[in-house]
Formats: sequence, C-alpha cells, structure tokens
Amino acid sequence: MNQLIQAVLVLMLGAALCLLPIRNRARAGIGLLSQALATALAWSVVLPVLFGAADITGALPWAYPIGELHFRLDALGAFFLSWSLPMTLLGSVYAVGYLRSYFDGPRHLGVHFALLNMVSVSFLLVYTGEHAVTFLFGWEIAALAAWLLVIWDYPNQKVRFAGFNYLVSTHIGLIFLVAAVMILYTHSQSWFLDDFGVWLRLNPGTLRNTVFLLLVTSFGLKSAFFPFHSWLPRAHAAAPAHVSALMSGVIHKAGLYALLRFILLSGKPDEWMGWFLLVFSALSALIGGLYTVGQRDLKRLLGYSSTENVGIAGMGFGIGCLGLSWDLPLMVALGFGGGLLHVLNHAFFKCQLFYAAGCVYQVKHVVDLERLGGLVKLMPMAAFCFLGGGLAISGLPPFNGFASEFLLYSGLLGGHALGIWAQLSLALVAAALAFVGAVSALSITRAFGVIFLGTARDDSLPPGQEANRWMLLPMGLHALGSLLLGIFPLAGFSMVAGPVTLFLHGSPDSVTAANLAAVAATLTRVGALSLGLLLLILLVLWLRFRAERAKNLEHGATWACGYGAPNTRMQYTGTGFSIDFARQFKNVLTLVERRKAPVGYFPQGSYVVTDCVDAVERRLYSVIGHGDETAAELSHKMQEDDPRLAFSMALAALVLIAMLVFLVEGALP
Amino acid sequence: MMLSLLHLLLVLAMPILLVGVVNRTKSWWVGRRGPGLLQSLWDLRRLLGKQAVLSTTASALFRSGPYAVLVCSLVAASMVPLLGQFAPLSFDHDFVAVAYTLGLGRIVLMVCALDVGSSFEGMGAAREASFSTYAEPAFFLLLGTASAATGMHSFADAIGALHHSAHFALMAVPLVLALLILLQTEASRVPVDDPLTHLELTMIHEVMILDHSGPELAAMQYAAALKMALYAGLIAALLNPFDPRLAPVAALLFCVAAMLAVAVTVGCVESLSARLPLRWVGGYLLLASALALAGMAVVGVTGGNP
Repeated sequence: MNQLIQAVLVLMLGAALCLLPIRNRARAGIGLLSQALATALAWSVVLPVLFGAADITGALPWAYPIGELHFRLDALGAFFLSWSLPMTLLGSVYAVGYLRSYFDGPRHLGVHFALLNMVSVSFLLVYTGEHAVTFLFGWEIAALAAWLLVIWDYPNQKVRFAGFNYLVSTHIGLIFLVAAVMILYTHSQSWFLDDFGVWLRLNPGTLRNTVFLLLVTSFGLKSAFFPFHSWLPRAHAAAPAHVSALMSGVIHKAGLYALLRFILLSGKPDEWMGWFLLVFSALSALIGGLYTVGQRDLKRLLGYSSTENVGIAGMGFGIGCLGLSWDLPLMVALGFGGGLLHVLNHAFFKCQLFYAAGCVYQVKHVVDLERLGGLVKLMPMAAFCFLGGGLAISGLPPFNGFASEFLLYSGLLGGHALGIWAQLSLALVAAALAFVGAVSALSITRAFGVIFLGTARDDSLPPGQEANRWMLLPMGLHALGSLLLGIFPLAGFSMVAGPVTLFLHGSPDSVTAANLAAVAATLTRVGALSLGLLLLILLVLWLRFRAERAKNLEHGATWACGYGAPNTRMQYTGTGFSIDFARQFKNVLTLVERRKAPVGYFPQGSYVVTDCVDAVERRLYSVIGHGDETAAELSHKMQEDDPRLAFSMALAALVLIAMLVFLVEGALP
Repeated sequence: MMLSLLHLLLVLAMPILLVGVVNRTKSWWVGRRGPGLLQSLWDLRRLLGKQAVLSTTASALFRSGPYAVLVCSLVAASMVPLLGQFAPLSFDHDFVAVAYTLGLGRIVLMVCALDVGSSFEGMGAAREASFSTYAEPAFFLLLGTASAATGMHSFADAIGALHHSAHFALMAVPLVLALLILLQTEASRVPVDDPLTHLELTMIHEVMILDHSGPELAAMQYAAALKMALYAGLIAALLNPFDPRLAPVAALLFCVAAMLAVAVTVGCVESLSARLPLRWVGGYLLLASALALAGMAVVGVTGGNP
C-alpha cells in the first residue's frame, strides 16, 4: 500500500513541479520522470497482486464527515492499473513529440503534463478506492483532467464546444452514479463498497435493479456506449492525438472497471441483467461500427470505433453475467476472460491507431480522408502501424483482437448446457458480432486505403514525412504489443486470469482451475494459429522475393480503362467507398446531403456534400432546441384557473410523494 | 494421416477441376465444346513464367499481398471439412478461425486493390467489403445452427455430423441453399458477380486484381478458385452420409461427385440467369441469412440435439 501512496505523492509532486516557472523542456522532463517513477512504484505492488499475491488493503484517517478512507488493491484493480499507468506514460512521451513545436514558444506546457499526471492519480484512486467518496473523487479528477486535456487548442471555438459537450455529458453520468451511491448508502448505512456489496447480494429486487440500471447508464456515459456516446466523436476529433488515444484506450476503461466492480459486488446477477448487458453492448457494437463507415474525419472514425469496442467488451461481460446466473463456470471464464482481454487489447491497438492518426495530423495538419492520400511511401512507419492496428481492431489474425474475439465466440457458441432457444439466441448475437467485425474491416480498409494508398489528393498540404522519434516510439511499442498479444495470447491471459478468478468465487478451486485451463488451452490454439499464419506468410514472401533483389522490375501506369486520371482528385474517395453501404443503413445513419444540381448548358458551381452526422446528437439538440417552444406552448394551452387541472396535478404530486415515502420506508433498517 | 493427404490432394486439385467444370458447363449450354478441364492449370503455369509489370503508384504491399491472400486461403482450407466429418486441423470453434483467416485474406486483397489508386479497383473493393458484411453473419448463423443441432463445436463435427441429427432433411435444404449463395458471393459467381464481364464499372473480384500480373496474378486466381472449392466442399461435407474414417473411399467418391455437382449447378445458374443489378445483391445475400434463420427455426422447433 505504501508504494501506491508514494506513487500518488510522486505524481502530485511532479504535477506541482511542472507548474513552476522553468523552461518547457524541464517541465516535460519532470512530468515524464514522475510518471516513470510512479509507474515503477505502483508496478512493484500491482504485479504481485495481479499474478496471485494476496490483496493489499490500507486505511487512511480522514476528517469528519468522511471518516476513514479504505483502499484495497485486488486482482481486478491490479489488472487495470498494470497497463493504465505505463500507457499513460507512453502517452506523455508521445505528447513530447506531438507538442514539440510549442517547446520554445511562450505557451506553458507544464499544465498539460501536470494534467497527464493527474490522470494517473485518478487511476490510482479509482482502481484501489474502497470508499465511495474516494471512488467518486477519482472519477471526477479523471473527468476534469480529461476535459482540460481535450481543450488544448482552446482558442478554437469548435474545440471549446467539444470540451463543453464532454464536460456536460460526463457530469450527467456523475449524477446517475451519485444517485446510485445515495440509494446504496441509504440502505447499507455505509460508504464502503464492500458493505454496498453485502446489501446488493442480500436484496435482489426492484431497488437492486434500479441501482443496476442507474450504474449502467452512468458507466455507459463514461465509456461511451450507444446511445450515451454523443459527446465522443466531437471530443476525439478535437483533442490532441495522445489525449484521444488515452481517453479512448485508457481513461474511459474506468467505466468498464466500475461496471465489473459492481457486478463482482452484487454476487450473482439476475438473468435479465446478463441479457440486458449483452443486448445493450451488442447494440453499441453494431451502431458504433456502422457509424465508423460514414466518417470523413479519421479521429471521429476512431472515436466511433471506441463505442464499437466497448460494446464488444461489454458483450463479454454480458456472457459472463449469464454464466454467473446460470452457474456455468466455463461461460463465466470465457465471457469475463474474453471481455477483459478485449479491454487490454483495445488499449493496445486503439492507442496505436490514434498515434498513427496523430502522426498524419502532425505532418499534414488535416485528418480529412478526402484530402489525404499516398502517405504509405512518405511515412511507412505510421502506415504500417495503422494497418496493423486496423487488422487488430477488425479482430483478424495474427493480431490480438482475434484472440479476445475468439473467446467471445467460444462463449456465445459454446453450447453450454442451455435450452435450445438460449443457444440459438446466443448464436444470433454471434452473428451480430461477425457483422460488426466485417463492418469494421470495411471502415478500416477504407480509411487506410484512402489515406495511405494511392496518390496525394491535395497538393496544397505540406509534404509528408515520418514523424519524430518521440512519436514513433510509443506507437511502435503499442504495435509490437498488439502483435505479441496476438501470437502469444497466453501472455494477455495470464494478466486476465487473476480477475477472472474473482468472478469464479462461487465455485471450488479445482473447478476454477479446470475452467481457466480450458480457456488457456483455447488461447494456446488461437496463438499457434496466428503464429503459424504469420510465419507461413513470411516464409512464402521470403521464398518468392529472396532471389529477386537484383532484377529490374517493369513499371507502368495503373490500368485505368484507357483513361489515365488527369488529376489526383479523381481517385476513388472515402465517401464513394462507403456511400452505397451507408445508404442501406439510412435508418440508423443520418446522412445529410446538400446538393446544388448543375443547371443549363454550361453549368457552374454545382456540388454535392454528404455528411454522416450523429443521429443521437442531432435528436438531442433538436429536442433541446424545441424544448423552450414546447414548454411555452404547453403553458399557453393550460388555463391556470381550470380547477380540474390543479386538482389532478396535486393528486399526481401526492402519489409521487407517497411513492418516495414508500421507497424510503422500505429502505430504513 | 492418410485422410490428411487426401484432403491436401482435394485442396490442390479441386480448384482447378471445378473451374474447368463450371466453364465446360457454360460452354455446353451455349453449344460450344469449350476449354479443357485443366485449362486453368495451364493458365496458371503460363502466368508463373511471366514477369510482373507494376503500377508506378503501387507500394510494397502490392506485390506481397497476393501471397498473403494465398496463404490465408490455404490455412483456412486446412480447417474446412471437405470429406465429411474430417479436417486436418480441427478444434473447438475453428470455424471462427476459418472465417477470420479468410477475412484477413479479403482485407489484404482489398488493400492491394486500393494500392494502385484506380477508381475502378476502389469500386470493386468497396463492393467486396459491403457484400462481405452480409455474408459473414449468414456464415455464423449457419454454423450456430449446425452446432446447436449436433451439439458439437468444431467445423468438421458440426457440418459432418449434421446428417445424424433428427430432421436433417428439413434442415439440409435451407442450409445447402444458404451455402450456395455464400459460394456465389465468396467465389464471385453469377448472380452476385460475373467473372467474365468486361466492363470495369460492374466487376467485383476481377476488377480488384486488374493490375496484378505474372505470378502474383496466379496466386490471386488460385486463391479465388480455392475459395469456390472450399464452399463446394462444405456443401459436399454437409450432405456426405459416409464417415471418412470408416469408409474413406466412399466418402471421397461422394465428396468429389458432390463437389462436381455443385460446380455443374453453378455453371447452370450462370448460363441461365444474368447477374443481379448491384443494388439487389445486398437483398440476395440477406436471403442467405434468412435461409440460415429458417434452418435455425427448424432446430429450435424440433428441439435440436437432446
């Protein structure tokens, strides 16, 4: 425990020192050093706990009315801490490269690095806090720090709007969380998560279901599940690349952590909770995936794919919950194991993709698909990291996404001792997951093909070149991680095994061990397949090309049907790539088209603009926009002196109060 | 071991033979004699002897891609049951691995197509990508149905043992039809795609490999033919009443006969019907999902594997 407290202190000290009036380089150095030191300190206790040592608990006396603060580091928290801290460190390293042009300028960079430190502090608080107040406090630090990091480019009004949007959404989420905590506090008369757990386990029923729904809403807003994702595309598009990467890959995983923590606390969830979580998550995956198809802005696209991927991880948790409620330990292991592994894998490949997008932005100053092109020859590192991340995010071998999705499929199609209709329903969900995978392959091919292949579309942009080493290093490490976790998925599973054991607490040790071994065996096969595939491809390529180096190859223009493009803008566009597909889902995707058709014999100035806007956000604003009018209209229609209205309103109010009293009555001990 | 060798032989020979049979069938319908059954083998040999011409726009991916596609198809072929309830590489849920390995091949193919920067190849890739989003769920629905019906979880068991399950006759019709539609999609046959079309605007698979030449083109063409053989083999395995371990010769004969019959069917469909307008193809592919769902309903109503 001491090391964790030291880590918090080191991070806060580092954050404070970053603010000193010294040179920007020194500030960045302090930020990185303190992060590295804190990571090392935390790892010294986190890794033993993750790999089987006993939980670490601690308490700090605190002033009234909080009382004593309790901390506990168990395998679940250790799992999340073990990669969150180093990845934040890598994000800070990337920040050094990304913000390099500001180092000698007048801008104070210390704030940025201090905020990155505070993000790490929030992880330490949230992932170890046993006291509801510490938990909420850490939650809030993360939200505020992320908000301030997003608005790095604050002079831009769009960026401020995106930040504000995020801030409001995350606080609406906080309200739901606080509501849930208030209910739990009223009933357990305690601030400790453990006591919440005792109450949750002993009192299944309406109130527990309400708490569950409140929590899912709150965590859904945090992790950007559909339909709570509307803040996400704007925030990811506005933030600097490393902030988007950290938010999507690391910070918002706190929502999934909290979801798992409460599932763990509530013991055996009801069956409906499992189905609800499964369908809710599948919906996120589907809609998030579909939205990636229409995006022109690369970072918006990656943002939507976060919604898709938290959905995929959530499907794993849904499977696990169903397993818990049906007492099927293998399904529990596959569901939570697959979900947690996907969380880890997603952190690897999503940061990698955002870092690659950052490299593009750094050189070209745009991430609009339709203006880029042909970058693979100018920035091969970024291109190959993007391609690798893209294959991983589509769940394709030999990358890590394949391993976690394979576990989910095994959970869905395992044919555990279930009724036939349950089996078939799960198979339907598996088909949905397959659809999501294919859609994500489509949008990644589109993004990679349009940005990195072909030839440059816009000559007015600065020439491309590889990004600096500070940016390449974190991206390369993430890419290496994605590949290694793909061909050796057991390494990832060894990190996940601890938390999965927690979920199997109901079964005897031998059963737990047998089920973990079964999952490990599955992953061994998956890893062997990925490794074999990779080696075979490399072998064939080596056999084919080893002799050819000396030969001069014949080159010619691309076959263009006797028609060489007179200008590079005439290449296939990203919109063209996806428009047919997107039109088929026009009920889900809102395609806004503005067009001015050509008129007359010598038409001039005609255009078509197709935009894929967020349906939820659009609806939200139209409701808010019309809200004032509707309220005014309603009040106008009501006649104040109508006694029937007054009576009925009073009656409704009385019923409401009676219900509240009834609820509280039930709550008192 | 013996069976694995047989499987390998089938994987190597059937793509060539099936393409030959399809072409012969089509020739027969129009009253020509048509090319020999092994014509595609000679074509491949000719391509292997040629030197590639590269587009000036292409990157390193362009030449490596075809071999990755080929390896993916071959690895997938090692897990697909052809002879009935047998595949050389078989483990629980290996059909997921098959779908995703073929998926890797497909994405590499599309990336190669986009690499040369031509709009035509971009269109082909876009169509391939969007049609595959319809095909994948159908494949998983089909396998989910088969594995619920048999209670077994590897590709070979779920497909090969399906004929033991009750109400097989009811299930077989929709599942075989669904597989046939998947074959037409994945192997780019009429009515989804027309391999003989010569208009770049309307092609799918052929337009994606327009710029490949020499050995790379050979790899691409062989991989495409192999895909057709795999789906034809799946249909054969689904219907195969013989256990390849007990009666290998009978199983092999049935398998080859069924695959050839599938090729003849494909050829007849191609001769007698035109390809669908592109905007209808999505609906046609949904039919595969609907058929798989029908199979699923049969399993659900009859209670599946007790």
